[in-house]
Amino acid sequence: MNRTRLGLRGSLLVTLLAAGPVAALGQSEAQQFPVATKTLKNGMKVLVQTDHSIPNIALYIFYKIGSRNERPGTTGLSHFFEHMMFNGAKKYGPGDLDKAMEANGASNNAYTTENVTVYQDWFPRSALNLIFDIEADRIQYLSFDPKKIASEREVVASERRTSVDANNGGILDEQLKATAFIAHPYQWPVIGWMSDIEHWTMDDLKHHFEMGYAPNNATMVVVGDVTPEEIFQLCEKYIEPIPQHAPPPPVTTVEPEQLGERRLTVRKQAELPLLMIGYHVPQTNSPDFYALSVLRTVLVQGESSRMYQRLVDKDQIALDVTASQSPAFDPTVAIFAAQPKEGVDPQKCEAAIYDELDKVKKTPISDVELEKAKNIRLVEFYHQMRTINGRGNTIGTYEVFFGDYRKLFDAEKNYGAVTKEDVQRVAQKYFDANNRTVATLIPDNREQGSAKQ
Amino acid sequence: MNRKIKALRFTVIAVLLLGLAWSGGAQTVKLPPHEKIVLKNGLTLLLMEKHGVPIVNFAAIVKAGSVADPAGQEGLASVTAGLLRKGTAKRSAQQFAADLDFIGAEFSADSGADYTAISSEFLAKDVDKGLDLFSDALLHPAFAQAEVDKLLAQEIDGIKAAKDEAQSVALNYYYGYLFNKHPYGRPVGGDELSLARIKRDMIAKFYEANYTPGNLILAVAGEFNSAQMRAKIEQALGGWTAKPSLLPDIIAPTFVKGKKLLLVDKPDSTQTFFVLGNIGTAENDPNRVAIRVVNTIFGGRFTSDLNEALRVESGLTYGAEAFFDSRKEPGAFAIYSFTKNESTVQAIDLALQVLAKLHKDGVTAEQLASAKAYLKGQFPPSIETSEQLSKRIAANEFYGLGDDEINQLEVRIDAVTSEIAKQVIAKHFPEDNLAFMLIGKASEIGPGVKKYATQQDSRKISEPGFWPGAK
Repeated sequence: MNRTRLGLRGSLLVTLLAAGPVAALGQSEAQQFPVATKTLKNGMKVLVQTDHSIPNIALYIFYKIGSRNERPGTTGLSHFFEHMMFNGAKKYGPGDLDKAMEANGASNNAYTTENVTVYQDWFPRSALNLIFDIEADRIQYLSFDPKKIASEREVVASERRTSVDANNGGILDEQLKATAFIAHPYQWPVIGWMSDIEHWTMDDLKHHFEMGYAPNNATMVVVGDVTPEEIFQLCEKYIEPIPQHAPPPPVTTVEPEQLGERRLTVRKQAELPLLMIGYHVPQTNSPDFYALSVLRTVLVQGESSRMYQRLVDKDQIALDVTASQSPAFDPTVAIFAAQPKEGVDPQKCEAAIYDELDKVKKTPISDVELEKAKNIRLVEFYHQMRTINGRGNTIGTYEVFFGDYRKLFDAEKNYGAVTKEDVQRVAQKYFDANNRTVATLIPDNREQGSAKQ
Repeated sequence: MNRKIKALRFTVIAVLLLGLAWSGGAQTVKLPPHEKIVLKNGLTLLLMEKHGVPIVNFAAIVKAGSVADPAGQEGLASVTAGLLRKGTAKRSAQQFAADLDFIGAEFSADSGADYTAISSEFLAKDVDKGLDLFSDALLHPAFAQAEVDKLLAQEIDGIKAAKDEAQSVALNYYYGYLFNKHPYGRPVGGDELSLARIKRDMIAKFYEANYTPGNLILAVAGEFNSAQMRAKIEQALGGWTAKPSLLPDIIAPTFVKGKKLLLVDKPDSTQTFFVLGNIGTAENDPNRVAIRVVNTIFGGRFTSDLNEALRVESGLTYGAEAFFDSRKEPGAFAIYSFTKNESTVQAIDLALQVLAKLHKDGVTAEQLASAKAYLKGQFPPSIETSEQLSKRIAANEFYGLGDDEINQLEVRIDAVTSEIAKQVIAKHFPEDNLAFMLIGKASEIGPGVKKYATQQDSRKISEPGFWPGAK
């Protein structure tokens, strides 16, 4: 969920997290992109990478709080809170933050996931002090104006109508997770259920702020036309005086093992059906992460991938087929999605996906496929690292989800270590019928009224 | 930033006083050096070395977009582009994909209204393989019947899938309605009806007529040595036979007089997506920088007048914006937002009030200074990567815009005064003549929106096509 993303003319922002953290490089690249780090006295970790190629800076703050830290009744609160972080604090009152930033050449955005809430600032060097002043102000002194809460609630409701009601993929993804997870908080949507959006209270917001917005629960990444020394000095002045406090209580719920296939159907007005299949897979920092990532690449990335070749090119039963697995602190789901062609029963797409999964379970992938997957990772790494913004997000994602940004530079080694047998093993282990949830959207184009009966 | 604005203004004055002594001092970012070479067969080549990240990007422009589609064959340019990688004289579609993916390279070909953009990116170490794939697709597409059939069927279904997400088709409907039967109103990707009419021989004919060296601008940016790259490209593309090139003859679209409204019925909609505006500006409009500054204030950023009114102050929507989609001839000006069914009239009324206020009050000195700072501060990341740079210089070449488009941008931004802003508002932000396009639940919102226009039109989203010319 992004703070601002209208999407009328393609995406305004590249959401790098969508594809999951990917990388592959070695020591020479590590030297090419050196990172300086410092842990402040209040526990906030700061990572800085200098790049003078443009006179601009990207600053990211990752707070380790997201929808997994919520409870039934207040789902969506983390995302709503993300919106409130722009609605006034002590020095910068309602509306002042955006006005001050834009008047100084800066822009901002933020996103919330199940795991983290991330704030992004993009600005020319000249706005550096202002940005630190603003960030320090809102971490410490966020204000909760009832009028702003009321109007922002409507903004988020509108966001939900656009990203869920008017988006078949959004609806199906939400229903799939609500079915695949029966215990763990990954079962509710990041944006929250509509009735929760309508009902959370000022106290809920205050509690959320106290729980998650501690400097020791945050990681700052700064990339661009700066030196580590000046950033550390600014941190000393603006950030270090902010006292630390207890981070959010650990999420102790563990999703129990799934004991059999789950199926669900969404019937709504639509031109075409849609299919999603979710399998439980481990968290991002699991040793199986790299083999799963190679497997997804072999299956769906590029037009030479196995599932594209099968469903789109050869059988011609789907418009596209994708697989995704978002960064996650806890065991999550990998989701395959196919857009069936008109007149094609989604079950045909489903059967073809299982058939392709069976093949990788029975026979190891080829050497060429393994090498291709590794080459694709290397290019993707450079894609992420070619902008200061991409680097800010990637360095932060590695630091937060893998526990150490240096894992970014170990990725080539880790991908290099993946064997054909590893890929076969993870396919067998995770892509099992008992471990899957199948969600199908079926167009129902009867006149409204009768459709509800 | 205030300090910086003053510094820049001072610099401008200094340039005037001291002449060339100050050259280079005014602008913080400039295009890296690059060269232009016209090959013997007429192909225009632009080369820009950009070192640091070991990537090479190719951005080609074929001077034929959807405006070159014959009437009734909307989507022909787009389908032709989509088939380039679907098999060549020496590679099947599958082989092309395998060779491309093995080196992690990207290849895409998409049509816009004015031109078709072909783009490819790969690691610098794979330059020979990358160039071979690029030139193979460009020079030797096979247009095999089976691939033609496959792609057309996918494109038709793709339009149906897009109609399930209102905002992804909002501009198709708006442009069709705004431009009426002018070529800019045609759906670039075609529609369910026109695509069904396209045959292999039409595609081959379109390719023969439009894919010629003289019609091609190729910009290459990234990690390479220019002399070596030039030699490689001359070898790969220099032998392409020159042919007379016919460019689509296009006239300026007609400004909408009065008010008209199209309501596209999507009965399951919980929100109304609305776009309103009129004919906007051409890429080379002499007022283009001033328009950008004014539109930044009006609808081009988070604190814009529109977003402040519709989102920040009233919570009516997740977002509201205004933009100019500039083209070779004047394109569209559009105000865009969405809101729940019940507040449709309230939101459109408010958008119109914000527009009226812009005309009545103009922009304040504070807003002007802020918008200038914002545009200048946000500009450098837009020319940061090889991909951005190659696309930018190729487009500038196509539209006949020089390097000063970028190298003098800050100076030009600073030159915008409140007097110029006033003129720009009067001329380029139409208020009394407007086309409205709404996608929503007609039974609920239809009666309320009648008041906006004398001419009322309607269609169902399930009805094939997007525009009045579709048949």
